[in-house]
Amino acid sequence: MNLSQVSASKAAAAVTVRRRQSARLPGRFISGMIAPSMLVILFVVVFPLVYSLYLSFTSYTLLKPVTNWVGLRNYIRLFSDDVFWLAFGNTLLYLFVTINLEYLFGLFLSQLLARTVRGQSILRTLLMIPMMFAPVLVGFQFRWFFNDQVGLVNNLLMQFGLISQTIPWLVERATAMFAVGVADIWMNTPVMTIILLAGTLSLPRELYEAAEVDGASGWQKFIHITYPLLAPFTTIAMTIRSLDVARGFDIVSIMTGGGPAHRTELLWTHVHRTAILDAKFALGSAMSYLTIIVTIGFTLYLFRQLLKARLVE
Amino acid sequence: MNTKTMLTKVLSALAISIVLVTACGGAATPETIIQTQVVKETQVVTVRETQVVEVTVAPEPTQALPTGEGEPLLAGVDKKFDGVTLKAAFIGGGQYEKMYESIPDWEAATGAKVEIVYKGDGFQIDQKLKTDFAAGTADYDVVWDHTSFFSQYVDFLEPLEGYFSPAELADFSPAILDGSTTDGHLWLIPRHADISVIHYRKDLFDDAKNQADFKAAYGYDLKPPETWKEVYDQAEFFTGKLPGMYGTEFAGKEEALTGRFYEILKANGGNYFDENWKPIFNNEIGVATAEFFRDLYKNKLVPADTTSLLWDGVANNFCQGNVAVHNEWFGWYAYFQDPNNCKVAGQFDLVRQPVGLSGSIHSGWAGAHAFSINKTSQNKEAAAALIKFLTSEKVMYEEAKLGFLPVRDSVWKRMIADSASSSNPLDKKRLEIAQTAIANDFFTPPLIAEWIPFSNIFYPTLQAIILGDVEPKEGLDQAAEETFQLMEEAGYYNK
Repeated sequence: MNLSQVSASKAAAAVTVRRRQSARLPGRFISGMIAPSMLVILFVVVFPLVYSLYLSFTSYTLLKPVTNWVGLRNYIRLFSDDVFWLAFGNTLLYLFVTINLEYLFGLFLSQLLARTVRGQSILRTLLMIPMMFAPVLVGFQFRWFFNDQVGLVNNLLMQFGLISQTIPWLVERATAMFAVGVADIWMNTPVMTIILLAGTLSLPRELYEAAEVDGASGWQKFIHITYPLLAPFTTIAMTIRSLDVARGFDIVSIMTGGGPAHRTELLWTHVHRTAILDAKFALGSAMSYLTIIVTIGFTLYLFRQLLKARLVE
Repeated sequence: MNTKTMLTKVLSALAISIVLVTACGGAATPETIIQTQVVKETQVVTVRETQVVEVTVAPEPTQALPTGEGEPLLAGVDKKFDGVTLKAAFIGGGQYEKMYESIPDWEAATGAKVEIVYKGDGFQIDQKLKTDFAAGTADYDVVWDHTSFFSQYVDFLEPLEGYFSPAELADFSPAILDGSTTDGHLWLIPRHADISVIHYRKDLFDDAKNQADFKAAYGYDLKPPETWKEVYDQAEFFTGKLPGMYGTEFAGKEEALTGRFYEILKANGGNYFDENWKPIFNNEIGVATAEFFRDLYKNKLVPADTTSLLWDGVANNFCQGNVAVHNEWFGWYAYFQDPNNCKVAGQFDLVRQPVGLSGSIHSGWAGAHAFSINKTSQNKEAAAALIKFLTSEKVMYEEAKLGFLPVRDSVWKRMIADSASSSNPLDKKRLEIAQTAIANDFFTPPLIAEWIPFSNIFYPTLQAIILGDVEPKEGLDQAAEETFQLMEEAGYYNK
């Protein structure tokens, strides 16, 4: 290799290095830009997650904050914790019933709103009012509604002569869960309605025009066009609400505190009782992680359904 | 990354963060704090015959001590604490607030400032203290405390015998100070005490027709109840006498229910634990006590929503005239006697708690609201001075006028003297009953850190028994098994 070749080679190498450097610069720049937020996420999200996972394998309590390693003891104990599994079952039942009713009411209201010609924006605003209340306030409001002696519901039923004795709504097994569910449905049906309304308004008009030409009835248009095409929106709404309901705490905590006799105990009221009131933080963390595993499984299932719906579309 | 993978990851992360919100707490490493020494004298006392504890005793006060005569005395105002700001977590709401109106006087006298950084009800403060102590974020100097709760946090509290001399404590009720002491250390300075007492509708009891009907039905005179059996009979008799009227009631959830059960269990001759902390409440006495509660509910002698009711709920029922015989705290007296609040004002009377199956033990669940000092406080002397002020004769006297039972003999003297000139004879009688009850019947829950966790095992089971979900024996056996496990894990059986 002669001198000129060496020089050329060096020049080419230098150009390559400069190119690589210039190519790297944006990467470094990007890394530098996202580093602060990554650090924040690391400390605010990842660290507590990992730390509470670690605690779930210890004997840590709030009043004796010592992290003695106990292995899987807390997880094993959960399998024989009747109240945990009762709360688990209650949560699934609560989730299944409230989500489906919210969906049905939301679907119905969204179709009415979609057909409203005048005052749609006012109606939509009015519909969103329940969403503006803090869940704690909704809990207090419905606790009063369903109060045995001075509650609105019993008073109305007695005024109309439908009952002669007051119903202890927040005590009886069936009515207590019903009352809590009503509060949740009142507050969150608008979420379903808004999502499904957005979906309905985005559907192509041509399909409806073609169906009308073919003489389809309103019901047939709903069943064969609207309902199937809303599937992706349905799945998104159901997923958001499922996660919301699965972590339900505020309303039930205010209305019944999970009682009486664990009749309305949900997972998070039980976790709160265990981790905070009983100070058994490690056991509460184990409950949380077991719940997470189920929640992740449920979320994955819902997203499979979403993808299936898209394929159908 | 395809859409499915991305969505899955995003949703998984979302799910984790949502689900773990309540489970994530800060790391807890209690700080090591160099304690301020204000000790002048050291004593060694023997506790429970096996444990020797060194306690420190505060110097004798330079101020005069209260006698209950002349002008009521203030305390804690003889030293200056210029530049000191004390942080406090206090119980709030209702009649508890009145005391805090006196704090500016202490600030003016000492030069210190008081910042009340948290107010809540007793259960809210309990939760907050537990989480803040564990997380190392309890930066309060003075905290509201209670005889039912303090045993949980003694690792985080400052022993108070080094700040309050025997002379300063001499005016306080010994029974209540005993209930504030564990392992030879004083953890609380009481603010006011309370003990349960039967309230009954005098107008209904004095009614001639009711008296005749009752005697005909039960074979003995209608009179203020002396036994829990009589309470049951009277509850049965008065239920439905007036529209919406129930014979009796009890707070039906949380520690309130555990305590109400406890006092009747004790009156029946039973207890929750034996001397070795083994649960014994599932014996015959426990079953009989549980049956008493179940039968009241099953026979509709108490409101149908009893298991949803706490203190304010049951008090309101009595206040509205819906209950004939009511087990309540003395502290509600002023509220019940206010005709602007209560329909039964002037129509009720009080009687000492009944005896149970034991035939001689009166119920008498009791407790005291109090103040403690946080071990990590940097201003313990100022904190002690503030507590001395808030529990002084003068401030306690003002609070006692609201209906609370005082914990100082000097304030008792003043209250009794005041009641002698009252136009309502019940004002005086109430204090006499309270003195008798405090002297003879006063018992707090077991002073152990496991009291509240135990209560959280016990009360849902008792609710299940009351509601008929489970038979008394079966339910109590189950609760006893869980309680045994709780106590075993806490190390009670390894000693």
